[in-house]
Amino acid sequence: MFSSAQLHLAKVFLKIFFRNRQSIFFSMLFPLIFTGVFFFSGGAADPIKLGLVNLSQSSIANSFSELVIAEPSFKVTKGSLSILREELINGDQTAIIVVPENFSVTGDAGELNLILDASQVRQASSIEETLKNSLLSIEREVRGIKPMFNLVVEDVQARPQRYVDFLLPGILAYMLMNLCIAGSGFNIVEYRRRGILKRLFVTPIQPKDFIVAIILSRMVIVLTQISVMLGLAIIILDINIVGGLPSLYGMIIFGTFIFLCIGFFLGSLAKTQEAIQPIVALTSFPQLILSGVFFPISSMTEWLQPVAHSLPLSVVVSGLRGIANDGMSLLSINYTTMGVVIWMMISFFVAIKYFVWKEVAN
Amino acid sequence: MQNLVKSYPHPENPKQLFNAVDGISFNIKAEEIYGLLGPNGAGKTSTLEMLEGMNDIDAGSATIAGLDVSKNSYEVKKIIGVQLQANEYFDRLNLLELLVLFGKLYMQDIDPLKLLKGVNLEDKANAKPEELSGGQKQRFSIACALVNDPKVLFLDEPTTGLDPQAKRNLWQLIKELNSGGMTIVLTTHNMEEAEYLCNRIAIMDEGRIIAEDTPENLILKYAPEPPQAALHGNIEDVFLALTGHELRD
Repeated sequence: MFSSAQLHLAKVFLKIFFRNRQSIFFSMLFPLIFTGVFFFSGGAADPIKLGLVNLSQSSIANSFSELVIAEPSFKVTKGSLSILREELINGDQTAIIVVPENFSVTGDAGELNLILDASQVRQASSIEETLKNSLLSIEREVRGIKPMFNLVVEDVQARPQRYVDFLLPGILAYMLMNLCIAGSGFNIVEYRRRGILKRLFVTPIQPKDFIVAIILSRMVIVLTQISVMLGLAIIILDINIVGGLPSLYGMIIFGTFIFLCIGFFLGSLAKTQEAIQPIVALTSFPQLILSGVFFPISSMTEWLQPVAHSLPLSVVVSGLRGIANDGMSLLSINYTTMGVVIWMMISFFVAIKYFVWKEVAN
Repeated sequence: MQNLVKSYPHPENPKQLFNAVDGISFNIKAEEIYGLLGPNGAGKTSTLEMLEGMNDIDAGSATIAGLDVSKNSYEVKKIIGVQLQANEYFDRLNLLELLVLFGKLYMQDIDPLKLLKGVNLEDKANAKPEELSGGQKQRFSIACALVNDPKVLFLDEPTTGLDPQAKRNLWQLIKELNSGGMTIVLTTHNMEEAEYLCNRIAIMDEGRIIAEDTPENLILKYAPEPPQAALHGNIEDVFLALTGHELRD
């Protein structure tokens, strides 16, 4: 399948990489930082900081206040309206509940005032929701009413719901893209600048052999790096790969192939080491924004979506996400796998077609 | 070589082409040392690069050992060895590893130590190229060019920048390779080198060959005045008498 020249060259590239201690260190740093950030920021949501102003002396108002204080999703400070309002403006409170003087169970519905600073509370609506739910159950308790029903949520797909589960495949794909483009694009420009490619060119080796060798060696390197990240994520962040690791690795290998080839192409476009930086930034940064790494593409402007969906990073992200979150298999035929295959062909073609051995920038 | 032409966009007027190599023809015999001489920009390196298959031939044709260079460039590459002016190698590999790598590029398993011995570098086997001196680097790059036991060896300014000891040592090596039956094509700015090494010399200027013959015939034809009988040697002889012929690197 591979010629001995290709295999030997791949072995040599691996040797070069693993002899460079510094690059190994830095390549392992990112996965550690990523898992670290999510590990320490994880856990239950912080309680909502709530100011409570009780203007009523009635027993019902008092028992209401006690229940609000006992509610675990609130962190309650009692006090006067003026002081609490000051704290709210300073951002020390998220919202203030004011129990009016004429608060009672009988008669008309009592009016509770909720004061909040919407500009500070970005998730104002979600807080309102939580507040309403908690207050409703407090009301039931005060009035001694049983709820009419309990809403039991049953998740048929049983897929992970946390943001980190959504984010991880995206980050994996983005990391894959950066590692690959750096591994092929930057290296190739450097090799060309120093005339190493020119020296190889006077031997009977062909561009295909050289590209295959770099792809093979980088595949090993990238899979090692990705495995470290994935291992940490599975162990520490308790990530569940619903579709199974073999499918996930298959998709990672396809993605590696695409991005390495794109890297070769960019490396051939760039004449100098200075030019490769902006060229790479120009290809990777828009993809980071548009490819649904941090939020789903469906939340984007309508006209942008078809463009966003067809980017190489998008197809890899949605491929990885489909496998990791939705339990799809690598072999299920859909638009994503088609996109992956099409990008594999396009990228390999442009990598070989535009490969430049010898132009040395002066 | 028949009417070889290489044209580049003109440096001052990119729309206009100028011929760096302007229709040259020459014939290098097997097992000779052939020297290409000429001022900078005369087209020596362009000519070599066309023969090595590194540059496209814009007009004319070239054959090496019966193989057309532009049609069979991969076959040609298998039977030639090339030493470039600039020689850089992959980082973090020692000489042995680099030689084995070059062998593999020709699909050959080679004995790297034997090659290093041939260029007098066996004690540097585990060194990296950047740790070598100028002369050692040149000898190593010749070793790299020899991995496929080439029929024709191309050397582009092999002794530029070397001290007299290293230079003479390299001349020795080139002579030895040639006496083993290897055809050698070299470019040089060192006239003494051309005279000492080459069986035949072509002098190029502005993309054309303006003279071609054996060194003796060229001297008879263009510089018939015999030099005054040397009463003494030159400064290089002084240098070598004082510092010795022993190789320093």
